[in-house]
Amino acid sequence: MLSIHHLRKDFSTARAVDDVSFDVHRGEIFGLLGPNGAGKTTTIRMILDILQPDAGEITYDGEKLSPPTRNRMGYLPEERGLYRKSKLHDTVLYFAELRGMTHSSAKRAAYGWLQRFGLWEHANRKVEELSKGNQQKVQFIVAVIHDPDLVILDEPFSGLDPVNQLMFKDALQELKQRNKAVIFSTHQMDQAEKLSDTLCLINKGRVVLGGTVRDVKKQYGSNALHVQYDGDGRFMKELPGVRRAIVYENSAELELAATARIQDLLSRINAQVEVRKFEVVEPSLHSIFINVVGGDGAGAVRPVEAQP
Amino acid sequence: MKKALAVAKWEYLEKVKSKTFLIGLLLTPVLMIGMGVLPTYFAGQEDDRTRIVGVIDQTGELAPRFAEKLQKRYTLANGQPNYVVRVLAMGPAIDLRREVDEAGKLAAAESIDGVCVITSGVYSDSVVEFRSTSLGDFRIAGRMQEVLHDIVAEKKVLALGLDPGILKQLRIHVSVEPVKISKTGEKDSAGFETVFLSAYVFLMMLFLLIVTSGQMLVRSVIEEKSNRIVEILVSSCSPTDLMAGKVLGLSGLGFTQMAFWALIAVVVALQFGVSIIDPGNAALLVVYFILGYLFYAAVFIGAGSPLNTEQEAQQVTSYLVIVLILPLALALPAMKNPDALWLKVLTYIPFLTPTMMALRIPIQMPSVMEIVATVLLMVGSIYLAMVAAGRIFRIGILLTGKSPKLIEILRWARNG
Repeated sequence: MLSIHHLRKDFSTARAVDDVSFDVHRGEIFGLLGPNGAGKTTTIRMILDILQPDAGEITYDGEKLSPPTRNRMGYLPEERGLYRKSKLHDTVLYFAELRGMTHSSAKRAAYGWLQRFGLWEHANRKVEELSKGNQQKVQFIVAVIHDPDLVILDEPFSGLDPVNQLMFKDALQELKQRNKAVIFSTHQMDQAEKLSDTLCLINKGRVVLGGTVRDVKKQYGSNALHVQYDGDGRFMKELPGVRRAIVYENSAELELAATARIQDLLSRINAQVEVRKFEVVEPSLHSIFINVVGGDGAGAVRPVEAQP
Repeated sequence: MKKALAVAKWEYLEKVKSKTFLIGLLLTPVLMIGMGVLPTYFAGQEDDRTRIVGVIDQTGELAPRFAEKLQKRYTLANGQPNYVVRVLAMGPAIDLRREVDEAGKLAAAESIDGVCVITSGVYSDSVVEFRSTSLGDFRIAGRMQEVLHDIVAEKKVLALGLDPGILKQLRIHVSVEPVKISKTGEKDSAGFETVFLSAYVFLMMLFLLIVTSGQMLVRSVIEEKSNRIVEILVSSCSPTDLMAGKVLGLSGLGFTQMAFWALIAVVVALQFGVSIIDPGNAALLVVYFILGYLFYAAVFIGAGSPLNTEQEAQQVTSYLVIVLILPLALALPAMKNPDALWLKVLTYIPFLTPTMMALRIPIQMPSVMEIVATVLLMVGSIYLAMVAAGRIFRIGILLTGKSPKLIEILRWARNG
């Protein structure tokens, strides 16, 4: 439904988005991944028609972006806020009407959503009186109240407590089941791996990897060896056939070169530490991300945040 | 357009319900009435105690008569004399400087309220000093002046060998009342004070309304920017709709405020039988009011949307306040010389046009030509300001972090 072709955006200081293309389909959760400053938000802003691209094209169900297409998109910005002094119910109605809903249908929808999230009893309270978790729910409602076909969520999980994270994930799954398209951006790879059907990894304004999660892993090629052990595992980084290793206290994720021989590796590891468990797996998005983003000599790229 | 209306409705309702608005709505008329009425009220109040006036008389002959007349002529409500005169020194031989110093000490110790120094020159140059620790009471000087006037004239008449009774016949009071001639040639009873007050009150209203709503506008934009609501807004409707909605909503707010104040003014006017303003003038003033309001709405949007913090906003609005307040400072000179060229020149600077016209109309109605020219000027300026503000707004609202330099903002305004 959403097609992006060769999108480019320059700012006075740098090229923020460079030749980005991808498609998003109905009934799909699309993960837009990348480190901070990769161009995710700029891309999203162009999809939302907030920023005009310098080159390239975005089509929505084959049409160019226009005021009517705005009404079919919902958006949850990264740093979220609401009018603090305004009443919850009024706020939700306002944003619904801005998306082109009539007052009466907005009222019905607001009732449904507020009921569903247990907020109806707070409908006449000021937003600032609500707990943070409840404010986050309101923000989500604002993004979906007009029943958009495409929902865009910029870093939806940052700052959410586990209960709300679960709620958001359920809500996303439900949108997917109702044949809506969801785009969410994140730099938390395990979230992306669990949630998204398709993903696109952007770094420095360019697409570096894209496709279904399986495709991406296949494109990336190599397998990984997960080991749990007792002892000092730092030597594993130097083993032949290991392209890259993430060594934790008592476990390690070794990314294998195509030529690696697992039997050899295992016996070498076993010689120095006591292996409790090992398994050959597809590489996690996390390690792919670090490899792709961190492996191009860009020292500035920060490692991916660990999941709490 | 529908979305612009939704924005307008929101901006209007959310602000009308806010405490700041309600307080401003009610407090401003109270302040205005207070500022207009109270000083005159207090100034008009009679003394509630007898004042002691010292006299140093170098002529050696005026003091007793002065004391007698002053004490007899003015009495307090309770029948006591308003002034009691204490002759401190009298005669041509006194050391004037020393006596004045002494009297000063007495005044400082509050045993007298002031001292009237009559020098021997009183017959020729007719200037008498009244020294007092507080100069606030302007009435006492007038009263002493009147009394001195009478007794000096009396002395002179006696010196000419005439009957002092002749003075009663000779005393003539002529007062000149300023009367404004309106365009129709009818006389208009508005005196200086009325004209001054109406010009001033209107300017103050315009000023307050523009500043308060301008600040409200900037603050709301900054709030929306800082919590990124603005991204949801501009992904829902175009920046043009958003800005139009804000201007509309805010104008609604301004006119609500003005209508409410006007109502109060009418009630006060009917109650006390004062007509502050001529209805014809009022209609014209409202036109300039609307023009000024819209122009400044655009200016505030243009100046406020690139900003990110309250502090910056305060700085920028305070510059605009200075521009707005300028005609207030010019009110007096403008009244003295309503035809001055500089007044006309200032009138054609769009930032000043509405306020300058609001100042000039009650004083002296400008020509039809000038009115047409300024209205056209304002309409054109509003259009340009809105276009420029729209361009700045479009870019400015998405900008966070460091605020852009003025030169960049001007470039956006030009290029869009």
